[in-house]
Amino acid sequence: MNFFFHLEATPKPWSYNPSKWSQRICISCIAAIAVLIAVYMGFYQWRLIEYVWDPVFGDQSKQVLDSNVSHTMWKWFRIPDSIMGATAYLGDVIFALAGSTRRWQDRPWLVILFGIDVIPLGAVSAVLVFMQGAVVGSWCFLCLITAVISLGLIFLAYDEIWSCILFLRAVWRKSRSVRLLWDTFWGKASEIAYEAGESVIQQRKKRGN
Amino acid sequence: MWARVIEFMLAVWLALSPFIFHYSRDEPFFFVNSFVCASLVTLFSFLSFWYPLRKMHLLTIGVALWLWSLGYSTFPEKTSPPLENSVVIGLLLLMLAIVPSYSSQLSYSWQKFIKKKLNETI
Repeated sequence: MNFFFHLEATPKPWSYNPSKWSQRICISCIAAIAVLIAVYMGFYQWRLIEYVWDPVFGDQSKQVLDSNVSHTMWKWFRIPDSIMGATAYLGDVIFALAGSTRRWQDRPWLVILFGIDVIPLGAVSAVLVFMQGAVVGSWCFLCLITAVISLGLIFLAYDEIWSCILFLRAVWRKSRSVRLLWDTFWGKASEIAYEAGESVIQQRKKRGN
Repeated sequence: MWARVIEFMLAVWLALSPFIFHYSRDEPFFFVNSFVCASLVTLFSFLSFWYPLRKMHLLTIGVALWLWSLGYSTFPEKTSPPLENSVVIGLLLLMLAIVPSYSSQLSYSWQKFIKKKLNETI
């Protein structure tokens, strides 16, 4: 029996490897832009700078960053909400750069953690930003830019998470063992995990044929 | 190993924090805390470079949680730059500490599995 294990394997249902470096570096660069914007707003909240650049809404950005909602979040997080946002975006950068080009199979925990950081947290923060007009009564241009970036990151990252979920589902279907699923999730190799990974790849090939 | 290098950089920042933020000398706790935490993070990240101890960086999670929790050691109104610095460094270390040492390679378990399979095939 032949044994294959290609790092650049293409998992179901894509025609490319969602864990490839080019895609993950792209995600990191976009998230890094959001980090810089969020840190800039954080500098204003810390009063390290006195002015926030906003070519569209003018002083409304200051009103958003100095709002009661913002101060309440500062009390919850113990740091300005912009800095908390910057930390979350930095998490996107860190988790996007970590792992091999087959991490959807060899480190599912990393992909799922990346997914949690990008999808639910990103979606919630984007919704909160888009609601600021209704809640605070003002708009913040840079906040809206970061919200758009969050949505863009979700679009760029969901394919890898989906492949990882399909792989874990294949492990479950083959084993029906919670223990094995748990071990595979934490990156432990096994014959079933290998076969599940190959089936996720091979099914796509069959469809292509 | 990039995560270990950044952890070390954060440790350096943590060690310099008392001087950057002008910690009060009346409260030596924050001085000592910064140096002890920075030393521990440096130790764990350096030890992780040795392959048998590659998972030592996971101990940094404890230091990170401690630094983060310090932010909640006082009332929200009394938060100060040292405490906010502690929270930010804690959060950053928490994210970095879970990144495996040889993260761009396949996990150790998969490497072993592949080696075994290849030997069987040959």
